[in-house]
Amino acid sequence: MPSTSLALTPGLASFLKSLKTNQIDTSIDNLISLLKRRQIRHSRSCATATAYLLLRVISACRTTDAVKLIERVQSVGRRLVAAQPREMVVGNIVRRVLGLIRDEAEDDREADFNLSEAGSESQPQTPRVPDDASDVPSTRLDGSTARTSLTSMFSLLSHPEPEPSLPGTPSSASPSGRVPGPSKDIRAEVMEGINEIIDELGQVDDQISAYALDHIHSNEIILTHTSSTTVQKFLLKAAAKRRFTVIIAESFPNNHEATHSTVSGASANDEETLSTESFQKPLIAMGITVILIPDSAVFALMSRVNKVILGTHSVLANGGLVAAAGTRVIARAAKVHQTPVVVVSGVYKLSPVYPFDFESLIEYGDASKVIGYEDGDLVDQIDVQNPLYDYVPAELVDLYITNLGGHAPSYLYRIVSDHYRKEDIHF
Amino acid sequence: MTNPVDPALASSLSAPASEVPAQQRQSEAPSNPSQPQPSKESGKPKKEKKEAKPKDTKDATPATDGPEKLTGAELKKRAKAEKAARRAKEKSDREAGGAPAPAGGPAGGGSGAGAGGAGQPATPKKGQPAGGSGAGGDKGRGLPRRPSGQASGQPSAAEQKKKAEEKNVAVFGHLYGQQRRATVAGAGKEVHPAVLALGLQMRDYVICGSSARCVATLLAFKRVIEAYATPLGTSLSRHLTTHLSHQITYLSTCRPLSISQGNAIRALKLAIASIDPSVPEADAKGTLCEFIDSFIREKITVADQVVAGSAAQKIQDGDVIVTFAGSSLVKQTLLSAHKQGKKFRVSIIDSRPLFEGKNLARSLAKAGLDVQYSLMNGISHAIKDATKVFLGAHAMTSNGRLYSRVGTALVAMSAKERAGGVEVPVIVCCETVKFTDRVALDSIVVNEIADADEMVTTQPPQQVTGLPDPAAAAAAAAAESSSDNKKKASKTPVPPTNASSLEPNPALKHAPSPLKDWRDTPNLQLLNLMYDVTPAEYVDMVVTEMGSLPPSAVPIVHRMSTSL
Repeated sequence: MPSTSLALTPGLASFLKSLKTNQIDTSIDNLISLLKRRQIRHSRSCATATAYLLLRVISACRTTDAVKLIERVQSVGRRLVAAQPREMVVGNIVRRVLGLIRDEAEDDREADFNLSEAGSESQPQTPRVPDDASDVPSTRLDGSTARTSLTSMFSLLSHPEPEPSLPGTPSSASPSGRVPGPSKDIRAEVMEGINEIIDELGQVDDQISAYALDHIHSNEIILTHTSSTTVQKFLLKAAAKRRFTVIIAESFPNNHEATHSTVSGASANDEETLSTESFQKPLIAMGITVILIPDSAVFALMSRVNKVILGTHSVLANGGLVAAAGTRVIARAAKVHQTPVVVVSGVYKLSPVYPFDFESLIEYGDASKVIGYEDGDLVDQIDVQNPLYDYVPAELVDLYITNLGGHAPSYLYRIVSDHYRKEDIHF
Repeated sequence: MTNPVDPALASSLSAPASEVPAQQRQSEAPSNPSQPQPSKESGKPKKEKKEAKPKDTKDATPATDGPEKLTGAELKKRAKAEKAARRAKEKSDREAGGAPAPAGGPAGGGSGAGAGGAGQPATPKKGQPAGGSGAGGDKGRGLPRRPSGQASGQPSAAEQKKKAEEKNVAVFGHLYGQQRRATVAGAGKEVHPAVLALGLQMRDYVICGSSARCVATLLAFKRVIEAYATPLGTSLSRHLTTHLSHQITYLSTCRPLSISQGNAIRALKLAIASIDPSVPEADAKGTLCEFIDSFIREKITVADQVVAGSAAQKIQDGDVIVTFAGSSLVKQTLLSAHKQGKKFRVSIIDSRPLFEGKNLARSLAKAGLDVQYSLMNGISHAIKDATKVFLGAHAMTSNGRLYSRVGTALVAMSAKERAGGVEVPVIVCCETVKFTDRVALDSIVVNEIADADEMVTTQPPQQVTGLPDPAAAAAAAAAESSSDNKKKASKTPVPPTNASSLEPNPALKHAPSPLKDWRDTPNLQLLNLMYDVTPAEYVDMVVTEMGSLPPSAVPIVHRMSTSL
């Protein structure tokens, strides 16, 4: 009985499963309600769900008109964002997909422009007029490599091979390469782009952890907070080569159970974490001494800490971040002790939003985690607060490590403009 | 402290006979000013025993002196052999997991301790008479000193110890020395019952907080003094101090003494020492009790009122007061400000694992204050609209730093580093009895480590309330109603209810904490600190009964108040 009830629990896994069979509108509603009910909550899960949903949306769209595609994605995106405005990764993924579509459309337009210049027809507004089947794919491809280098680093790796061959042998490549002829549509390109985003989401932690050895030296004492998979992988990677000590603050009311199980390596009963991460070795198995402390002891220990490594919920364009509640005092305490604060985060968490109203970014959680039912008499009389997130200003962060490398907080705006198009920032 | 002689004397005495011989002995050794000990002193604190262990040979030597009186070298030899046997036994007992042999309880402990004490150079006085009883009467009795301390019932002591050490956070290695006592077993028999009880209450945080512990200690000592009878041949002013120090040693094994306790004890000892030996015992005891009462009154009760009164004046209408954990003095301050009709809001920040703020929240809410409650994760939110921060203190160090419940420093820091720019004044409420001449730079050198098991997650709510979980209850209700409809016997629905309530629980709620086995998990350490040190620059004002001061004035006030 428990196993069946767990399998039925709505979440990322059940959503992805249902995505294949359900109607597209059902799926959208489904994701909206999951987001609203916070049944999908971690940044990566939200991002993955959004990406898969948009993949479905695009493939279900029976149009190849870029404008219509953009409108469709925008309307879906708006609903998703409205469902959970504080889950900023949803908006980020939507923006990236919109960017993909626009790039494709521009490429097509360029192609058209080339064609019309060549003198065939003047149909600048209709994006695809594949008069010359061989010409279109090659120019489009040129454009797409330029485009993908902006959207994702690893399209750099995946794309280059076809490029040289195609222009060289245009006639042979066009039929075999991609959906040929009139049905060549930007949808296929966009879907490919979305798949790249999904791949990126899957690999981002490993890419980030590749930088671990650049930042952790031997015998270091590292303090971290809650159980972020990214941070754990980062530390694990370093643990393979170096000996150091990790102090983990448990982040009590909201995430302490996950932290405890991450730390002790005992299996979590949380279905969401029962993915690949739960098969990961805990740090202690790598011979790393792990010290678990209550959140209150952070200041007392900070004088011994060499480095603070934090995960985050999302990163804002000004270099500030929204992270699990309690992060701010930790960063502050580190600042006071002149201890460097390193934030590890995938680029997908980087949001083009400039925060003006910090309060609006903060989500408040279940007060019963703070005052349990056994203290029910108190609940009537006092106002119990359980914020889930903290806004950490940029000046408290010394370094960001993303899958693109290490950046100063002041450089983030540049990465934002690389990843999102201006017209999509407020879609 | 006085008699260096007694190890020799002591060893000669056999345990059962100890009472009578002790007196004889006193008369025999009159040259020594030291107090001859009443037999009740014989059970000595276990602590000595422990230290005595490495000193086998030394122990043996003093023992030799004793026997000559009774018999010859032969007896000496026998005593030596006995002692060796006893020690071996003791060792093996300890290794066996420290479960005290039933007989070994207080009596065995006492005698053993005595033996140890005899050999101990550092505290010769304690061991004296006890040494006699131990050496003579003990036939290889296991003396479990602190059963729970190191060994929690597992096989090899050495292994156990090594394991325990692995669980100690290296930086804090120096603080793990004192394991908290688990039971009263092994406490010296001169420890007064009131003190025994107090020790356990302090250990369990039933009596918690610097002032409360100080008052409780003094009250218990008052009872000790009332029950005290000066043994023959000594004077109250000389012997009572020794007697009290047993109580103090016991208390400090339950939980390290607070600064305020230390200050109070110092004052009390001073008062005892200043009593004229010619004063009759009853008068002297009366004077001491009077002293204790007035100390409590002046240094704590009235001081609290004065502090609360003047701190309450700092509160204005519309203030938002942030406080951390549950200081009794802050509570008093807030309540008295509330009584004066001021309208303000209180935001309490609390932390694991003690949740002292809950009680504060409860009593403030009962008094009708507007209370907001959050945990450490909510600091930066709570501090955002704060206008003042009130903090309690465990102690104020001479370099102006605040030594208080762990987490205080984070609150004070947040108040000073608010992103908005305006700093929030941080006001510390503290009686001068908590001032100390010690200095502290960080929270590592001086601190207290509590039992890390406290951090292992608490019971799920269901276990506390004993209620079935809602789903099960609903299922039961459904079953019940259906059965009612069908007019079935009421018994049929019962089994399904049980089944359903049992089944989902293990899966959903009763999953044991992942930390349950942390002691057996290599490389995993839990750290449960009690205090931290807040830098002086985060503290704007210390409100004491002698006025409101900057933290830099702490050493001056401390000197004034102690020299008075």
